[in-house]
Amino acid sequence: MTTVSTWRWPTPNGLPPLPLVGGALALLAGLWLTAPVVEVDFVRLIGSLGKMAAFAGQMFVAPDWQYVPQLLDKMLETIEMTVLGTAIAVVLSLPMGILAARNATPHIVVYRLTRDMLSLMRALPELVWALVFVSAVGLGPLPGVMALAFVTVGFMGKFFAEAIEVVDPKAVEGVRAHGAGWLQVRLFAMLPQALPDFVGTVMYILDHNLRAAAILGLVGAGGIGYDLVMSMRLFQYERLLLIALSIYLVVTLLDRLSDQLRTRIIHGRRA
Amino acid sequence: MNVHDLNSARPQLPPKPRNPMPVWVAATLAMLWLIVWDLEISFETLAYGVEDMAEYFSRYRQPDFSDLSRYLELMGITLATALWGTVFALLVAFFLAPLAARNFAPNPLAYRIARETLNFMRAMPDLLLALIFVAALGLGPLPGALALGVHTTGFLGKFLAESLERVDKGVCEGVASTGADFPQMVMYAGWPSILREALGYVLYILDRNVRMASVLGLVGAGGIGLALHDTLRLFNYGQSAALILVILATILIIDYASAWLRGRLG
Amino acid sequence: MSTISIQSVSKCYQNGFEALKNVNTEIHSGSFTVVLGPSGAGKSTLLRLINGLETPTTGAVRIGGEAVEEHKLRHIRSRVAMVFQQFNLVDRLSVVTNVLTGRLAQRSWVGSVLYLFRGEDMAIAQRVLARVGLTDKAWSRADKLSGGQQQRVGIARALAQQPKVILADEPVASLDPVSSEEIMTLLREICDRDGITVVVNLHQVELAKRFADRVIGMNGGRVVFDGPPAELSQQTLRTIYQREGIEDDNSLDLALAYA
Repeated sequence: MTTVSTWRWPTPNGLPPLPLVGGALALLAGLWLTAPVVEVDFVRLIGSLGKMAAFAGQMFVAPDWQYVPQLLDKMLETIEMTVLGTAIAVVLSLPMGILAARNATPHIVVYRLTRDMLSLMRALPELVWALVFVSAVGLGPLPGVMALAFVTVGFMGKFFAEAIEVVDPKAVEGVRAHGAGWLQVRLFAMLPQALPDFVGTVMYILDHNLRAAAILGLVGAGGIGYDLVMSMRLFQYERLLLIALSIYLVVTLLDRLSDQLRTRIIHGRRA
Repeated sequence: MNVHDLNSARPQLPPKPRNPMPVWVAATLAMLWLIVWDLEISFETLAYGVEDMAEYFSRYRQPDFSDLSRYLELMGITLATALWGTVFALLVAFFLAPLAARNFAPNPLAYRIARETLNFMRAMPDLLLALIFVAALGLGPLPGALALGVHTTGFLGKFLAESLERVDKGVCEGVASTGADFPQMVMYAGWPSILREALGYVLYILDRNVRMASVLGLVGAGGIGLALHDTLRLFNYGQSAALILVILATILIIDYASAWLRGRLG
Repeated sequence: MSTISIQSVSKCYQNGFEALKNVNTEIHSGSFTVVLGPSGAGKSTLLRLINGLETPTTGAVRIGGEAVEEHKLRHIRSRVAMVFQQFNLVDRLSVVTNVLTGRLAQRSWVGSVLYLFRGEDMAIAQRVLARVGLTDKAWSRADKLSGGQQQRVGIARALAQQPKVILADEPVASLDPVSSEEIMTLLREICDRDGITVVVNLHQVELAKRFADRVIGMNGGRVVFDGPPAELSQQTLRTIYQREGIEDDNSLDLALAYA
């Protein structure tokens, strides 16, 4: 080849498209400007690799088997909090979902108000609410369950409202044509149709809530989180190892389970 | 099959499937009751806690905005932390997701490794990661950003891999039939086909990271969460209320902004 | 040389379906061959084997003496282009970029993952786009084009590979009669002018008769006819389109009467 090859993009002028370049530059500028705020310091980062390795090394200790009964107890508590919080949220979010769905709400004002309330409820993470509820009702799993349920209603109510909004209006009209009342239309025409979506959502939320529940103990709201923080503060690595492993195990198990259940539901609907 | 056969065969309905619904409901209720009993949650406490709670929440009535400029600065740090965490997640997921998508992965081993790496990252709660990074890096927003990044890489990577797996088989074959190799397949058949979905996921992750960044302060990873923790500890309800309001407002603004952006892209 | 030789190839899918049963044939360099047969006869499988999109259960496919094997796919595909029934373009990319994907096998991934192309690749793309008559649509998004236009982009992508062989899998099955005519003419012209070997899957007998040098008739995974289109008699067509277990097929007679 004698020709000098020139490089170009597949655009009329051979330059990359302007919006793309603009976006990339804006992002880079944003990162560059915020780097000092986040104290991004690659030297420090690399320097800390040794510490990280040391930390990881400390994790390789003989696990404290005596701790296992207590661990199981705390893990069970964490799972129980997750299930209870989610169950309470399911019950509460059903009516909320109906009020927040455009096609099911009794009035547009109710719709707007419910929507805004739901987004306020899910705006803050569980941990903040747990902090508040612990101050209100004291230590223990109760504030944890409350915090989980509270935030979950925010998420689930929204998901559920959206599932109702895409319900096939023909079936709804059919039921209405048979003289069904306001509540009957919602219970017998809208809910059954929205249900498969809803079950998929519940699995996602259970997943999310389990992770959240695992750290609520940080602020004294029950579960494994308290032991986690304490073993870290007290450098009890033989416990920390067990806790981290058990969290990983339970989360992964639930993850697999929900993956399988979701594909079953989706494929079941397609069949 | 002829006509005679059709007539002689009685139209027989399959046996009616049993409805397991009541059993499920009963089992669920029993389980919930057991849980309530095991957690020793007494509804009496709750019932008369309501009064206390009403009193308690009334203490938040007067937000104290005297320190607003400091709060906004803290919120800025929180936002920057979330941004860095998200960009980290995006960068890593960009390389891991194609490996974790069955139809793009160059070999089954790479697929398994990528999948398991993503699963592992997702399984580690970000606050636990933050605790670890704070221990290694010292206090400040950087360990927070790292923790968010690692944890959400797991999510973003999984979402993107699942999108990539849904790319039309024909489009993949169209590009593959020209002799494209793995990186070329990903760049030509993969990302362009899922661009819109991918942007939606990134916005979702950013949104999530802003929420989480505002509590990372609880474990010493900087930002507004630390201030909230301190004021709550000191029973300084006015300032706590102000901080909560600042966080709420920011999150709502981001919520609306990302909804607007998604609407424009959709 | 780019003679395609298919040596006792059988293909059995994982669900147990036997798509090809011991197929032996040779397709000569520079010829225009039409593979004819009912749906499910194994036509698609045959073509996909030649491009390596499927691997044979037994037997081997060779192109110009070179076996189609997993580790040589990139090299082989760079010379064996494929045109699809559903066009299989990347919807969100522009027509030019879609055509440029035909150059990917020639270039390392380093520049191409950034969508950077050399000047000469761009020149090739422009030339082939002019050839298929789509120069004015060059910057449109691929999914904004009509079916016939999309198929022409598909052919341009194949041409951009500067291949020895073009395989077209039912290229006109999703098109209206006018576009079908255009596409077949274009493929025939490519074969005549560039000496590229063209293998086309069709189910329309009439198109096969008009365009092919040679027709390979398939039924139930076997080659049941092989010869010039002039030899396609009613009787041979009956063998090709025969349906299993049906002796007296009225629909077949009716369909062939109008072929």
